[in-house]
Amino acid sequence: MRAGGFVFFKTNHMSGLLRWLIAAVVLSAAAFFMGEYHNDVYRKLLLWVTLALGYNFLFGICGQVAFSHFAFYGIGAYSIVIFLFQLHLPFPIAVLCGIALCILFALAVAIPSTRLEGFYLALATLALGQLFIVVLNEGGSVTGGTGGIANYRLPELFGMRVRGPWYTGVIVLLLVFTYSILKRLDDSWFGRACRAVRDNPEAAAAMGVDVARTKVIAFTLTSALAGVAGMVYAFVDNTVNPPIFGIENAFLLLFMVIVGGAGRHAGAVIGAVLLFLLPFWLSPLVGHHHALVFGVLVVAAILFQPGGLIGLWDRFSRSRS
Amino acid sequence: MGPILQVEKLTKRFGGLTAVAELDFEVREGEILGMIGPNGAGKTTTFNVIAGTYPATGGEVRFAGEPILGLPPHRIASRGVMRTFQHNRPFAGLPVIDNVLVGAHTRFAASLWSVVLGSARSDEGQRRKRAEELVQFVGLGELRDADVATLSFGQGRLLEIARALAGEPRLILFDEPAAGLTPAECARLAEIIRGIAARGIAVLLIEHDMHFLLPLAQRVVVLNFGAKIADGLPDEVRAHPAVMDAYLGSHATPQ
Repeated sequence: MRAGGFVFFKTNHMSGLLRWLIAAVVLSAAAFFMGEYHNDVYRKLLLWVTLALGYNFLFGICGQVAFSHFAFYGIGAYSIVIFLFQLHLPFPIAVLCGIALCILFALAVAIPSTRLEGFYLALATLALGQLFIVVLNEGGSVTGGTGGIANYRLPELFGMRVRGPWYTGVIVLLLVFTYSILKRLDDSWFGRACRAVRDNPEAAAAMGVDVARTKVIAFTLTSALAGVAGMVYAFVDNTVNPPIFGIENAFLLLFMVIVGGAGRHAGAVIGAVLLFLLPFWLSPLVGHHHALVFGVLVVAAILFQPGGLIGLWDRFSRSRS
Repeated sequence: MGPILQVEKLTKRFGGLTAVAELDFEVREGEILGMIGPNGAGKTTTFNVIAGTYPATGGEVRFAGEPILGLPPHRIASRGVMRTFQHNRPFAGLPVIDNVLVGAHTRFAASLWSVVLGSARSDEGQRRKRAEELVQFVGLGELRDADVATLSFGQGRLLEIARALAGEPRLILFDEPAAGLTPAECARLAEIIRGIAARGIAVLLIEHDMHFLLPLAQRVVVLNFGAKIADGLPDEVRAHPAVMDAYLGSHATPQ
């Protein structure tokens, strides 16, 4: 009876689109039952999950060790604010320019570095991440320096200003949009090519996979998605400032994917939720030393459970059946 | 049948060492051409130059009439030349069936855009069905969804073959496919290779084991020190004095 109900819920009777819609409505509706504080935490959580999904595609599925994901998140966030409120571009143009900027930067980093071995991509993206923070801090009136930019509001669209829990709905849409793109790519020849490149580039090339091109596309695409997420983030606190986009968060993202289970969408979600919420539970116990706990978790995952928590769950469910 | 692969005056030097010297041979459509020679004869170098892994020093390689020398490996694969590796190189993070689907990479019609927009499902299903047939063909049907780490060495070799076939090659290159296999596995492998040739796919088989190669190949090219020392039918080659020299040493030549 229960099994029958599950099958009904999962397949045939519901088209893919409808399932996405229901997921979006449920995730958005939750925001309306929260206070302002919890809604804020919830929004940040959704953004972390979105970023982790994208980073998982790059690192977990395509095997590229990059530390630039937060720089692109920042490029998206800063560019939408600068384009809208300093250059006074119309909203859709500002969004497109922001995406174009991310793609341009991504190509500039990816094309030279993916042609070399993986180590160079890590170095190049680390440099980009650091450079980006320097540019933000030294950017004068354009970036607002160390204080960043504040005191702006999301412009009205079609005579409405989206805010409060409704804006949480926008973040949910971002998450669903990001996931649906990544899932489709992952289920296609492209996703398999990415995994093949990760596992054995020489064999992948012999199978007809253009290794450099695959890497560049995966890097550019996930970087552009991070940029779009950054644009959405810009109106969460209505302020953008440098520390958010630093290397620490890029490492945290890497930890989330490793702890959750690299290469699996569900792993990225679990890792992001766990490591995002852990400090809330840990701070009464260890204060600001939660980074220590994260470190132990990551080392434990790498040494004892390379499949991450999702791999642990797989083993558990397999042994039960 | 006309030639599908023409190799002319192919030369490969590594610094002062000439690994392959002015090598000429051709593979005809639907035939099994064996390339044989003692260790260090230049077989694997020839193989890697044809597959695009190494650049050549000189000469010409034409596939279906088009020059392919200097093309990167993925371009050569997309033209219809697929290969297996002597040391199995599976994609460890993918199950058996998906390993085979990677082999079909260049045969997917759906563009990246249509994938993102979600209009590419039909292509995927058709390819998956074809990959399942190939997994059956090499005899790994029951291991379709298995983790490649659980395969034996011999099964891994069969996976290499199914993966190469998924690219719908017109020419398939085997790099010492019998190396490391048990006699029973070798017999099964020979059967599969004959089945591949029967499908009209040309086979270039590099092997140093004469007992495996001679009954299988229709024609044989013998290399030693990077140069061709003999070619012809298996029986002719077997009796060729230069071949006996190369394999057994000069004093073994029967008088």
